[in-house]
Order: sequence, then structure tokens, then C-alpha cells
Amino acid sequence: MKIKNIIIFSIISSLLLVSLIAIWKILSTLQGIKLNSLNIQIIFFIGFFITLLNTIISNKINLIIRFLIFASIFIYIDGYLIQSLPVWYNIGNFLIIYLYFVKIEKYNNNFFVNEHSTQTIIFDFLTLFGIVLFSFVILFPFYMMLVTSFKTQIALLVNPLDFSINFGQDLKDLFKSYFVIFKSYKFGKYILTSTIVSLGTVFITLLFAIPAAYAIARLNFFGKTFMSTSILIIYMFPAIVLVIPLYTVFSQLGLRNSISGLLIVYTATTLPVAIYMLQGYFKSIPKELEEAAILDKLSWFGIIVKIILPLSIPAISSVALYVFMIAWNEFLFSLMFLDNPNSFTLSRAIQYLSGDAETPRQYLMAGSVIVTLPVLFIFVYFEKYLVSGLTAGSVKG
Amino acid sequence: MSNIEFSNLNKSFGKNKIITNFNLKGKEDEFLVLVGPSGCGKSTLLRMIAGLEKIDEGEIKINNQIINDLHPSKRQTAMVFQSYALYPHMNVYENMSFGLKIEKKSKEEIQNKVLNAAKILKIEELLERRPKELSGGQRQRVAIGRAITRNPKIFLFDEPLSNLDAALRAEMRVEISKLHQQIKTNMIYVTHDQVEAMTLADRIVILNKGNIEQVGTPDEIYKDPDNIFVAQFIGTPKMNILEIEPKNVLSNKILKVLGNEISFNELNFDKKKYFIGIRPENFDLSDNSEYKFSPKIELIENLGNEKIIYMRLDEHQLSAKISTEIKINKSFGFSLKNIFIFDENGQRIRS
Repeated sequence: MKIKNIIIFSIISSLLLVSLIAIWKILSTLQGIKLNSLNIQIIFFIGFFITLLNTIISNKINLIIRFLIFASIFIYIDGYLIQSLPVWYNIGNFLIIYLYFVKIEKYNNNFFVNEHSTQTIIFDFLTLFGIVLFSFVILFPFYMMLVTSFKTQIALLVNPLDFSINFGQDLKDLFKSYFVIFKSYKFGKYILTSTIVSLGTVFITLLFAIPAAYAIARLNFFGKTFMSTSILIIYMFPAIVLVIPLYTVFSQLGLRNSISGLLIVYTATTLPVAIYMLQGYFKSIPKELEEAAILDKLSWFGIIVKIILPLSIPAISSVALYVFMIAWNEFLFSLMFLDNPNSFTLSRAIQYLSGDAETPRQYLMAGSVIVTLPVLFIFVYFEKYLVSGLTAGSVKG
Repeated sequence: MSNIEFSNLNKSFGKNKIITNFNLKGKEDEFLVLVGPSGCGKSTLLRMIAGLEKIDEGEIKINNQIINDLHPSKRQTAMVFQSYALYPHMNVYENMSFGLKIEKKSKEEIQNKVLNAAKILKIEELLERRPKELSGGQRQRVAIGRAITRNPKIFLFDEPLSNLDAALRAEMRVEISKLHQQIKTNMIYVTHDQVEAMTLADRIVILNKGNIEQVGTPDEIYKDPDNIFVAQFIGTPKMNILEIEPKNVLSNKILKVLGNEISFNELNFDKKKYFIGIRPENFDLSDNSEYKFSPKIELIENLGNEKIIYMRLDEHQLSAKISTEIKINKSFGFSLKNIFIFDENGQRIRS
């Protein structure tokens, strides 16, 4: 039992080590190292034996000494024997192995006596493996976007696959693309338009969604069940089906190329989900609170403003965040309805730039970074409001 | 000084009749406890008084004024909810002053009332806290405090203690009782716990399926129940009810109960079914009892100061409550004065 557990543990944990080292190798190729191959099998075998030996002698020798011995063996084989690699690469390897040793330290000899240890190990390492892999998959394109935006036209043409950033150059040159897109491509105006449209959509959506959601959650009226179940029906129609009839209607009404036109469409598309999310939350607010408020002489409007809203801040802010992101990133409707560069939103502007073959790629990427950053910052800022649990303590539960 | 009166009250949810023809006249400033099994309509009745439930038919009067169509806030009632229903985003002071603030009372008046209520309930040091930082008992105090600040003619309590643990419940029961003595106003208290009903009430209203089974002081209810339902509802363990078959009606004066022939001189029996009730605490083990029987003892529960004995005689399942001091022997006894007689419909036959 114990030996089987140790072997399974060694295999799984060395897989994690392999994935970490492989990602490090890929990243370091971007910094100019030329690797003959990733040597995954060899790393796996070294990792396996290191882990196995480490587990066996873990009770006898101190962590630091074990780590130093095994790390030097690993680096000697990987960094010098197979292929001689620069020092900074090996320092990176050294750190990765250190993290790895700290991570596997808790799986000592006593741990493997336990019957369930195999399951624990598998789930622990699957989680870690998943986090490492998916964050790499998600962050790598973002990294590429960032790096490209810091390049010059010449550097891109000379070596399009070089993903290193040259920090040696002047700051002004480094951020040149960003200056250019604001100066020559009027990105300031696009940002303003996008902000107005997104915030406007959030405001109007909440204005309608809060009373509607409250009505569906609490009041009894004719057709309530039909209303609440049919709210999401709009999502049965792909946007592309709606966009053409809307185009003709908007043309007739003169709403094309106008912010108000966009506001109408965006509100219409985000409202159902906003109502759906809010009504679920409103239903979770104890009814006694409202009854107590009725006895305290509050009107329906007063109950919404003074009781429901303060208690729903987490829900309302997550809905606001969601609506903002939808509106900020929305592309299809802005592509169809906007054709005058003066009323472009950010995403439409980037599409416009990329349609033009002469627009240098680094400017496009700088624009993309600008589109992404606000959403990222807002998410980080709002995150604390998304934690619910404000109703705790009002009723027994 | 206030009183409440119900006349011909009816209420139904869809096809379910919750309350049928409810009539009751409350006395001045009394502590009225509505008690009954779950689903008997007691909470609905309370919510109808508060105005949270519509009245289908009939009238509720407070101080002879019909309140049927008054807005809940104008009825001069204050309700304490089972789940406390404190506003979680406000601290204790704001919770207690919220209603007054909406009435646009002056700052000093609000402060006076809140501090006064806090003093009565001894929660002065909690005023700055949020509900989630309070224990269950403290939350319940705040909820009661919120009711006091509204200065109501009638307090409504909807099972206020059922979320508390046993020790705290006993403590709060005493507090509520003291509170009533202190602020002398009409209180209507809904519970399913007979101990609360017996200890708190001036008068108890026992409800079953939307009907009043009996109204009376705790003493009357315990000593002189109107029917089997009331007799069994009050008292733990519940009253032993023995079915007397027509063949055991030996003559128009004599019944055969647990093997004893008992003569009731003031009654006249027909040849039909009767029920006999004897409370568990009325069985004794002394040798000089009027009537005796020897049951098969099935289980003895020791509660420390007393024992509960579950026993069986023929088809009858019986329980007895006996002091621990007394040694249990084979034969149990009871006396004539502790026997309750009910007719075949469960109604009490009084001598």
C-alpha cells in the first residue's frame, strides 16, 4: 500500500514539475534561448527519481540540504549535461525546484500510510496542474499583446517571434505606440464614447431592472409566472438575427451613429439577465424584514430604497459589473450601427484599425491593451463588493 | 389601557379555511397567549391583527374601533417576529429608531424613547452594534425593544422564543413576563409551547384547526379542561385517555375502569362509548388509594427528581409521573376526584 502510494505520488508530482519546467523553457525561448528540444521524457525521469529519493530520505535529512543536493543534480543534468544553457535560465530552474520541494514537503513518509492518500494526492496535484496550465493558456496571449505593443515597427519586422521586451530603450520609445494611438488615432475620444455608453447602459439597466426584479420576486400580479419564465426568451434569438431588422428600423429613426441608439440596444440585451440575477437575490432576502418595514410605516418605494437596496449591494454591484463588461466589450451591434469614426466605441475602433492593412500591428495591440485594462481594474476594485453575506444576522440562519 | 375584540372572523387561503367564525373578547391589558398545534391558524390570526394578512370576513376591534381597513402602521400594534427581522445594515440604535424616524419625530424624542427601551431591556451597551454581532438572546431583546419604542396599544409576539436554546428560552420567558408587569399593556403571544403558555398567560386561548377549543386562565385550563384536545394539549406527559366500551358501562352510575368498578353518583350514563382521562401525575403508589390496578411496566425514564413510567394494562397504554423517592411496586392507584370523563365526541361531562 505504502510503496504503491509513494510511486503514484512520485509520478503525479513529477508531472507537475515537468509542466512547470516546460512552461519555463517555452518562456525562456521567448527571451532568445535556442533549445534543441524540450526533453520532456528526460525531465520526467529525473523528476521521478528525485521525488522518490526525496520521499524515502525525507525523515533523515533536513529540507534545505535535500533540496540543495537534488536541485544541483537536476540543474547539472538539464542545464549543462544535455545542453549548456545560460546562468539566468538555471537560476529560474533552481527557484522552480525550490517551490516544488516546498510544495511536496507535506507529503512525508507518514502521509503515505493513510489509505486515502492516493486520492488526496491525485486531487491536490490535478488542481495545481489545472491552475498552472490554464493560467498559462490565458496569460500567454495577454503577454504577447503587451509585448507587441512595446515594440517598434522595425523590431517586429526583423524578428516577429522574439517576445522579449527591450527595457534598455528610452521610456518614450517604449510607450511610443500608446502616444501614437492617442495622438493620431483619436483613442481618447473612443474611450470617452465607450465609457459613456457603458456607464449609461449600467445606469439605465439598473433603473429598470431593480423595480422589475422586485415586482417579480415579491408582488403578485396577473401574468407573473409568464413574465418571470419568459424573461430569458430573448437569448433564444442570436443577436445576428435581430441586428438586420434593427438596422432598418434604426436607419428610419435616425438612430444609427448615435450613442442613444446604442444605449437602447444594449439596455434591451442586458436587461433580462440583470432582472434574472436580481430577482433571485431579492427572493433570498427574508420576507419578515419587509413586513417589519411595513409596520414601521414604510411604503413600497421606501422598502425598496431603504431596505432592499442596501441589502442588495453585492448583487447590484455584480450586475452592474456584468452589464458594464457586456457593454464595454460589445462588438456586433457597434459594428453594424456605427460607421462614422466620430461615434466609434473602442472595440469598433480596433476593428476599424485592423481592417486597414497599413495600420502597424503594435498600435493595434496597444489599443487592445487599452480596451482590456479598464475591465481588469474595475473587476479588481469591485471584487470586494461581490462577497455576499450582508444579510447575515438579520434572521436566524 | 386597551382591549381587543374579534367578531365572526373568517380567513381562508384558497380552498383551505384557516379560521372559521372566530369570536373572542380580550380584557383590559391582559397577556393573552394563543396556543395550538402547527397549522391551527394562530400565526395567521396574529398577522391579521398586525395587518400583514387581509381579513376575509368579520371584524377586529381595538378599543372599540374597527381596524380592518387601517394601514398596518396605523393600528397601534407592534410585532416581534420569530426570526427577529432586524435590519442587518443598521446598528441596534438605528434598528430601534427606524420607525420613529419615518414618523419624523424629533431627535430628542427618538433618543428618549430608544434609551428608555434599551434601559428596560438592559441593552444600553449594545446600541452601536450590528445585528450580526449579537447573540440570539440579544437579537430578540433588540426586536422587543424595537416594538417598545413604537409605544403600541397591543404587542404581538409571534413565537419569539422558538429560535433560542432551552436555557435562554427560560430566561427570556421570565424577562417577557417582567416586561408585561412593567409596561402594563395588552400583549398577544403566539406559541406552540405549552410551558410558555402556562407560565406567561393571564388567559390562554387554545386553538385547533381555526377554532377555539377553550379560553381560560392557566389554572382553569389545567384543572378544568373542556374536552379531550385541551386535556391532552396541556401537561407533560399528556393525559392518559382510556376508552370505555359500552359493555364496560355497568349501570347508569357505574363504569368499569382498569379493572375497578367506579361509581359516579352525580352522573347518568347511557349504554355507549365514554372516555376517561387521568393525568400521569395523579397516579400514586401508596397502599391506601381508592382504586388500584397492576400494569405491566414497559419503560422507566429517570428525570432526576421524578420518573416517567410507561406501562400497559390490557389494551391501554398508560404513563405515570412519580417522584424518584417513591419505590415502584406492582400496583398503581388513583382516586375519584382526579378522573375526567368525556363523552364519545370528546366533550367533557361535568358532574
